[in-house]
Amino acid sequence: MKVNVYGSSLSAWVAAASLAKVGNDVCINEMGAGSIKELNEIGVIRDELGLLNLLEQQIDSGRLVRCSKLENLADIHWFTLQATEQDLAEQILDKICIINPNGLLVINQCNFTVGATVGLQARIGEENDVVYIPDNLQEGAALKGFNRPKRITLGMDDTRVLIQVKALLRPFSTELDELQIMSSREAEFTKFAITGMLAVRLGYINELANLADQLDVDISVVQGGMGADPRIGRHYLSPGCGFGGQNFHAYVEKFASIFQTEQQQTLLKTVILQNETQKELPFRKLWQHYHGDLSDKVIAIWGASFKPGTASIDNAPSIKNIDALISQNVQVRVHDPEAIDNLRAYYKDQPLVSYYDDHMAAIKDVDGLLLLTEWPLYWSPDYDKLVGAMRHPLLVDGRNILDKEMLSQYGLIYIGVGR
Amino acid sequence: MNNRNDKAGLSDADVSPTSEKRMPFECQAWLGLQKHADELKGVHLKDLFQSANRFDEFSVSQQHFLLDLSKQRITGETLSKLLGLAEEQKLASWIEKLFTGEKVNASEQRAALHTALRQRAGEDLWLDGQNVTEGVHASLNKMKLLVEQIQSAQWRGYEGSPIKNIVNIGVGGSNLGPSMACGALEQYAPAEIRHLNVYFVSSMDGSELEKLLPTLNPAATLFIISSKTFSTVDTLANANTAREWLLKASKKPVEIINQHHFIAATASPKAAIAWGVPEKNQLLFWDWVGGRYSLWSVIGMPIALKIGMDNFHKILKGAGIMDAHFREEPFETNLPVLLGLIGVWNVNFLRIHAHAILPYDGRLAQFPSYLEQLEMESNGKSINRDGQRINYQTCPVLWGEVGSNAQHAFYQLLHQGTQAVMCDFIVSAKRYCGETDGLQSQHQLSLANCLAQSRLLALGADALKKNGQTANYQHYDGNQPSTTIMLDELTPETFGGLIALYEHKVFVQSVIWEINPFDQWGVEQGKQVATLLLAELVQSSDDGLDASTNGLIQYVRQQHKGGDDEG
Repeated sequence: MKVNVYGSSLSAWVAAASLAKVGNDVCINEMGAGSIKELNEIGVIRDELGLLNLLEQQIDSGRLVRCSKLENLADIHWFTLQATEQDLAEQILDKICIINPNGLLVINQCNFTVGATVGLQARIGEENDVVYIPDNLQEGAALKGFNRPKRITLGMDDTRVLIQVKALLRPFSTELDELQIMSSREAEFTKFAITGMLAVRLGYINELANLADQLDVDISVVQGGMGADPRIGRHYLSPGCGFGGQNFHAYVEKFASIFQTEQQQTLLKTVILQNETQKELPFRKLWQHYHGDLSDKVIAIWGASFKPGTASIDNAPSIKNIDALISQNVQVRVHDPEAIDNLRAYYKDQPLVSYYDDHMAAIKDVDGLLLLTEWPLYWSPDYDKLVGAMRHPLLVDGRNILDKEMLSQYGLIYIGVGR
Repeated sequence: MNNRNDKAGLSDADVSPTSEKRMPFECQAWLGLQKHADELKGVHLKDLFQSANRFDEFSVSQQHFLLDLSKQRITGETLSKLLGLAEEQKLASWIEKLFTGEKVNASEQRAALHTALRQRAGEDLWLDGQNVTEGVHASLNKMKLLVEQIQSAQWRGYEGSPIKNIVNIGVGGSNLGPSMACGALEQYAPAEIRHLNVYFVSSMDGSELEKLLPTLNPAATLFIISSKTFSTVDTLANANTAREWLLKASKKPVEIINQHHFIAATASPKAAIAWGVPEKNQLLFWDWVGGRYSLWSVIGMPIALKIGMDNFHKILKGAGIMDAHFREEPFETNLPVLLGLIGVWNVNFLRIHAHAILPYDGRLAQFPSYLEQLEMESNGKSINRDGQRINYQTCPVLWGEVGSNAQHAFYQLLHQGTQAVMCDFIVSAKRYCGETDGLQSQHQLSLANCLAQSRLLALGADALKKNGQTANYQHYDGNQPSTTIMLDELTPETFGGLIALYEHKVFVQSVIWEINPFDQWGVEQGKQVATLLLAELVQSSDDGLDASTNGLIQYVRQQHKGGDDEG
């Protein structure tokens, strides 16, 4: 099939690469970006491991082209614009309606709002179709998520294009457990509701962890107990120093704002605020350890990306902690396997921040180590070296990945989240 | 009936003369004004308004201000005689003394250089070998650093969380000015600093803290102790209560609490250190800044926190423009000079001793209490600059309220009472531009009421109604004089200008009355008496107390005893 993809987000690139890989002729229109950048200069591509490679392969094969005109005929028009770009979506629709004959199929993957797909459908008339497929992309695992999803939700208000949509998705259905079909409004609402529910779970477990701190209880034990209850399960139950990323964050905020527009008190708003506070938890632990005096201190940070598997530092806890530290005139040494370039671009000439390729080199003579991202590299450090290298053996584990008892035996002062 | 002079009830002779009292002014202009006032005695404001160009003749438009004096009981002759009085009293030379740092506050041997606080960097002013402007800006810069640290959520409390609440503890000038400015200009706060809550606490009895503290998270609360001397008992009592609250909540050592939860704005760094505020948390000003003139200094920190440092600088700029106007503009069109002289005319020649301040703008709700201090603490004096008793009236009794609310309260007295009262109506021409129709029409409504009230007060009901027959109780005499100060718009800049306008007005009057507006000896003695009585409340000595005070103390002691028994 011939597919046009509109957008320049991570979702757009993942869709374009994956659709091309399975044999479609794909044209990606990045909409607006006047001069087209080299692929390896595009942050969202660079940050997602494996994506750059796949894109280059598809372009070499000729199945994927980058274009900037809207005049291309296609069977499928795939929209992956930012949540704020609903106007742009409407403009594109107006144009492609003029060029393409009747029987247009539009896949809307944008998280505009509840009812947006109905609005787009009304715009292009009954002879054409808009189907909403929620974007379940997870940064750091985006390709896997697109190519081998366990479940797909289709938001369609008319099932006459079901066969065509199923055919389009067939190559990505090998591990599919469930295909759910519902109205586009319900599908949009479901997408937001899932995201919100996950955020609330994380917010709740973080709140429990903070209480556990006060009451001298180890949250990881409690977490195990809670997760064993089948009504609760183990997913999204790890306390830590807050969630970040671009999409998750944006969806939660968007959903909270929908609540607010409808004049409802929202639990999500509280969760968002609490999450921002939670991101600074490692700093606060450090602050309390040093009795509010961080002058002349040197602190190492392990992990700057908002989660492992990505180089993205969007809304990452590392930013909040580094900001807090440099405001106290603390020298900060950062290690991250992927995100250092992004971090360097963010802090530019800030003299208090320095960057390390070797995580053990970063902790030499420091007064404390904050572990902020659970990269596999950090899960089992050489404890002897760790203790030997630091000036003051203090470790704040913002992800609860290390063994508290073991570290204590080596003489390390261990501070976790809720333990 | 038409002449409010008869209602004044006080003549100069009533100020029980004693032998050491100074004679009233004997200068030509003063005597001329007295004679002129006698001639105008029977003239009602509605008669004066027979002249068609009265508004043009008696209103002055300068910068963003329109000062309308046409509803004052004056003629062209009045104004020229008042200007003559200003000249005879050497007002011009006193203005220069004020601006150049002469010791105009003689009883305390100090300059009064609040104008220097508004000077731009680089406009040097030397005082006792020190470059005042440089010091002013160094202090403002330190304030800026702290303000930005707090606004960017990087000032940390004992737990390491950012400060969200700022409580200003201060009284008098360390409270009224900043609190009024925050109330007036809140709308100008940039979105990125609106997460901060700024509160004001002043009363010695702890009522405000008692209500406020339970609503605040101690870990996220910072106190600014604003006190020039750092010895004001009201302020220290509140500060101690605040610290006690923090210590209890945090279970941290006092040093940590002092470091992270207290800032001092003071002219007495040693006293602040002795209380516990470390040097790095101190913002300093100087003894030549009077308390009621201090909102322009680091005492204004809550303003900068609330509406941003840029807006704080705009307030300073607006005041600076008014300073230049006051210093350079010919007296005929000089706003503070005219406002001051009109006050003198009303007080000393029309014998009006009550002055109502009536802003038609809810944002200026605290402006009347601010002026109560500025005017009455400055010019509520009966000793002249040479230390002699005087036998003429000085500052009138000032009070006020948002005009539209006061219409439902004390306007009855203004319209039909037996007191002559002069009024200042203060209102903006423009407000709510770009807001909803509902709000815009509310502003129109407020403007209409402002204009209606000053019109009715001036002209009375007769002038407004054609068919005159009404019952006596429906009668409005009119002839109550008023000034209308119209701002183009209330902005940080015009706000600064408005305050400076009144500061200089007060100074103009002090020059005419030959008094020192910059000291306040009348508020000192009470503090000492209170210290003595505090001891008496605990352990009465029956020593030399008057019967009333003694009786009251005994009653309190009995009540406590009763309470203890029950407990």
